[in-house]
Amino acid sequence: MANTFDLNRRTFLRGTGAALALPFMESLSHAKAAAELPRRMAFVYFPFGVALPKDGSPGAEWNWFPKAGKTAKDFQFRSVQKSLEPLRDEVTVMSGLSHPRCRSLGGHDTGDTWLTGHHLAAPTYSNTVSVDQLAAQHLGVSTRFPSLVLSSDGGVGEPTRSTTISFSRTGRPVPALASPKQIFAKLFGQTTDDQLARQRLNNTQSLLDLVLANSKSVRGKLGTRDQAKLDEYLDSVRDIEKRVEQSQRWLEIPKPRVEEKTLDLSATPKGPEEYIRVMYDLMYLAFQTDTTRLATYMIGQVAGATTIANSFPTAAGQQANWHGLAHGAGKKPEALGKFDQFLVAQLARFLTRLKDTREGEGTLLDRTMVLYGSSNSRTHNNNNYPLLLAGGRGLGLQHGQFQQYDAKTPFANVFVTMFDRMRLPIDRFADSTGGLDALVG
Amino acid sequence: MNRWVSILVLSALASWARADEVFAKDIRPILQRYCYGCHGAEKQKGKLRLDTLDLNFDRGQSAERWHDALDQLNQGDMPPEDEPQLTAVEQAALTGWLTQRLKAAAEARRSTGGQGVMRRLTRYEYANTLRDLLGVKLDFAKDLPPEPASPDGFKNNGLALGMSAEQLEYYLAINRTALGKVIVEGDAPKVVKARVEKSSPIRRVKGVTGNTVVPGAQYLAKFDEFPREGTFRLRVHASAKVPKGAGLPRMRITIGVRADVQAPQETLVVADVKPGAQVLEFTGRIEDFPLPGHNPKYPGLLARITNEYDDGSGFIKRKPKKPKKGEKAPPPDPDLAKQPVIEITAVEFEGPLFEAWPPANHVALIGKPGEGNEESRAMTSLKRFMSRAYRRPVTPKETGAMFDLYRVIRKRSDSFEAAMRETLALVLATPDFLYLVEPAAAQRRALNDHELAARLSYFLWSTMPDATLIQLAEAGKLRAPKTLAAQVDRMLADPRSGQFVEHFTDQWLNLSGISRVAVNPQFHPKFNDALKVDMRRETQLFFAEILRTDASALQFLDADFAMLNRDLAKHYDLPQSDWPVGVAFERVTLKGNDRRGGLLTQGGILLANSDGEQSHPIRRAVWLLDRVLGTPPAPPPPDVPELDGNSPELRNLSIRQQMEVHREKAACANCHRDIDPWGIAFEEYDAVGRWRENWRANPKAKPQPVDALAKLADGTELTGIAGLKQHLLEHETDRFAAALTRKLLAYALGRSLEFSDDAAVSALTQRFEKGDYQLRALITGIVQSEDFLTK
Repeated sequence: MANTFDLNRRTFLRGTGAALALPFMESLSHAKAAAELPRRMAFVYFPFGVALPKDGSPGAEWNWFPKAGKTAKDFQFRSVQKSLEPLRDEVTVMSGLSHPRCRSLGGHDTGDTWLTGHHLAAPTYSNTVSVDQLAAQHLGVSTRFPSLVLSSDGGVGEPTRSTTISFSRTGRPVPALASPKQIFAKLFGQTTDDQLARQRLNNTQSLLDLVLANSKSVRGKLGTRDQAKLDEYLDSVRDIEKRVEQSQRWLEIPKPRVEEKTLDLSATPKGPEEYIRVMYDLMYLAFQTDTTRLATYMIGQVAGATTIANSFPTAAGQQANWHGLAHGAGKKPEALGKFDQFLVAQLARFLTRLKDTREGEGTLLDRTMVLYGSSNSRTHNNNNYPLLLAGGRGLGLQHGQFQQYDAKTPFANVFVTMFDRMRLPIDRFADSTGGLDALVG
Repeated sequence: MNRWVSILVLSALASWARADEVFAKDIRPILQRYCYGCHGAEKQKGKLRLDTLDLNFDRGQSAERWHDALDQLNQGDMPPEDEPQLTAVEQAALTGWLTQRLKAAAEARRSTGGQGVMRRLTRYEYANTLRDLLGVKLDFAKDLPPEPASPDGFKNNGLALGMSAEQLEYYLAINRTALGKVIVEGDAPKVVKARVEKSSPIRRVKGVTGNTVVPGAQYLAKFDEFPREGTFRLRVHASAKVPKGAGLPRMRITIGVRADVQAPQETLVVADVKPGAQVLEFTGRIEDFPLPGHNPKYPGLLARITNEYDDGSGFIKRKPKKPKKGEKAPPPDPDLAKQPVIEITAVEFEGPLFEAWPPANHVALIGKPGEGNEESRAMTSLKRFMSRAYRRPVTPKETGAMFDLYRVIRKRSDSFEAAMRETLALVLATPDFLYLVEPAAAQRRALNDHELAARLSYFLWSTMPDATLIQLAEAGKLRAPKTLAAQVDRMLADPRSGQFVEHFTDQWLNLSGISRVAVNPQFHPKFNDALKVDMRRETQLFFAEILRTDASALQFLDADFAMLNRDLAKHYDLPQSDWPVGVAFERVTLKGNDRRGGLLTQGGILLANSDGEQSHPIRRAVWLLDRVLGTPPAPPPPDVPELDGNSPELRNLSIRQQMEVHREKAACANCHRDIDPWGIAFEEYDAVGRWRENWRANPKAKPQPVDALAKLADGTELTGIAGLKQHLLEHETDRFAAALTRKLLAYALGRSLEFSDDAAVSALTQRFEKGDYQLRALITGIVQSEDFLTK
């Protein structure tokens, strides 16, 4: 490696960031030597819940959950999940799960908590780390980007109405990317001027040192609230430091070449079908090229009329009011059901692409776990989340089942199982009580 | 006033002691009768005991338990079905009390003790500041993540403006791009000058092209050579032919690439063309437009001029077919003669533009070669740049540290210019630039003059202080009340105050909602989405006009004029003789039967608070109560179903009747009795803001007469917008004045207001009312207030 940086100086200044710096060389050489294939996770969230009409009532076929049979394996997909039929052996539908701590939150307040399981409390509504970001801390150095964070709204939004489902180790929202063009440029854009990029990274690092050194004297002059603001800035600086280190390594390695033409990068949320498809396509490409191993996509945020996704149901011939459809689903399950059917079909397309791509002895899907779902069930109730876990058979997941859990089982147990399949040394998350044996073959 | 309303109002205003009295008198008896049986001394079902649960919502976990209880009540889960149920009045009293107490507790916890916090520049403030600091007009904010709004709707709220590693990385990237534009190297670039007269013949371009541009046709100018960086100028030699009765033709110029199927183009400008020969001149940054790649299939830059007269849908879609042999050519469409036409004689392109090399803004930043050695130039440059960027004098220690950084960077860089680009880009990533830092301990202190200058300029210009403000601050003269008043006048007269008008109006009235509503074309086939931009502009310009002319702010409630362009006047169905000539906005005097005037009848407000198909009385009511009267109703509890106009029981009822049905449900009635009537009064306007006498449940349904008779919770009856406006002007001016004062003060301070601000608000409101509701006086009052002058 031609890169030079003074490890002692960096370590000295790094403070809390020390944890990640050391294993880098190790993991890079390790990755090469062991040549183990990647393990991946993707999380896709949708807001407002689903239709859950009772059996026998009109429109019962639009119940989001499958029709249960005598055993978990013996279930029937209903209309919403029709498109998953060919993928039956690649998915497990789960009912009854939720984050117990979040059940008492407002119905519109739980999008932030889907991947954190943290109870949001006034006045700060502070959150904790999300599943993907915690995994990223462990995996980060092995790919160019530790994680890919996407949403249709983009940015971070505001607490309880965040436009991202990813939260950093300090519980701050990780801004989501929304523009297909921007995402593509970040993942695969070819920068020709590596020399310049390297200089800039070094310069950035020098500035960060300066800022951190200065901050001590400045901080003393501030009141506590201002200090909290400054700390937020300094934390960001430290996070960048770590990224700078990573980026410097990755500068040596060219980005994968991906043909832009195969993607509809001009898609916008105004054309929901094209847009959702290209977002999935970008996740697919990021996985396929091993540019990252972790991805989240928030199809819509929970802020009623203001989410850009509120108009998405037009793609399934429904009115441009997702939130309204969810509220109307008690009486008219079909309208929301048809839209959910459309969303599941997009997911099925993504899963099929992963499945159609060879990797080692198996497929890309075999080593990619995809969790799809919401934090609301029927009209914004915060229990019985609609959840679907797909892929990852090569990592030991078992599928082709409909698992019905009771309210005592925390949703976080799913995460513990996923961490385990990722071979990450994390055996507890939020209020988890263990893994879920039925998911593992 | 019925009992629950009085409870709501009282508990919002009363002290804690008063609230406890309310509890003892009105609330505890209800709890005793229905709840303590299972959640009291004897039984504690669900481990919940209510009779001893802490009533002080500020501490411990009690607020969470109460919140839980509220949810159970709202969802009808408690009391259980087989137990005695609360009457509607009791339900309302209990949930109303809980909601208000919880809200007050949340506010108390969020309190900053009336002190602003160190606040990051907003997206637009950062972009404006970069532009003024560097002298480059580029859309810098384009790539920054959008900003969240605070609970009171403002984007410049210090607490809501967060920071993250990603955000900081965006800043670094944008700073570098920006400095790359200013600090140049090498010889002056070649200037491209080109002139096209006859519309460029381009194969396989669909539609009618030529120098005569009727609506739907286009003129194309292809420039084989073009710069890839810098400012360019486009000169259009044109004239218009305007038939009698028609408006001016509207010219849209887009610039971009000619691609295979779709041509990526960005709009440079939309402008009116007047009769008679004229030269229209426009400038832009070439980087803001899609440019052909380096080895493109279709080389050259393409400027396209179209005529968007009327609804923009165009008049001519296809070339008329050539007549077959022996047939006569079809007669020209008689309507064609009624269309205004643009005649293009020539289009000239020139760029990049610079008056000298290196350009003046480059010299302003790092001087000229030969002005001392590199190190002395760097030091001089840093001193000047840092104090402008930090909006205050900088200490030798600060410049010294940055100079050391420069030295490190210089060693790594190929040139002095490259090192300065990097160093200055990094200066703009420090907290001193990105935040308005006003270091202060818990104790309130007076702002120093530099901090005051920054507050003032970010309030009224959304950018850094100019030389005048800085000079006044340096002389220590700024804080004198007279000076402040004079500066407010000067700043409001400056075009930069357009930023204040735009952002304050947008955030106060929540105009961003306009773009979020998707208009359903089945319901509104004639609505053109381009009107949304006009509507937003209308409301901003209306605010600007009241501010500029020192008119009474009561004109927001009802006015005898409107700011309109031709499309809006047409949309509003004004008599054609009153329509402005083109795309430019004009002040239009309203007549009695125009059914417009004031904010309440502006299309943007009506549209933003609709669902894109139907009017939405509840949204309109909430908007009025929140934004205009300053008393937002509590947010709906979870699991309250939305009005479903398509359900069989509601399908054929008028919206007012639907809402009556809705209000019959106990769960809804509590709050909606106080909300709905305000929205009913807007019913004479459909979702897109057009006046109507009849409405339809769906596009195919039978029209039914609109019913806009509203009965307020206190029994007052009023009919339609006219009745509402009259009521507001006769009975609600105090509430409106206080609300506007609060909104303006919150925006000026960049923080939410608290109880401790009440005295200041009422003093300012009184002054505002006594001063004939003049906005300028209110702004001056705010700027001279203790709140504004201290941290």
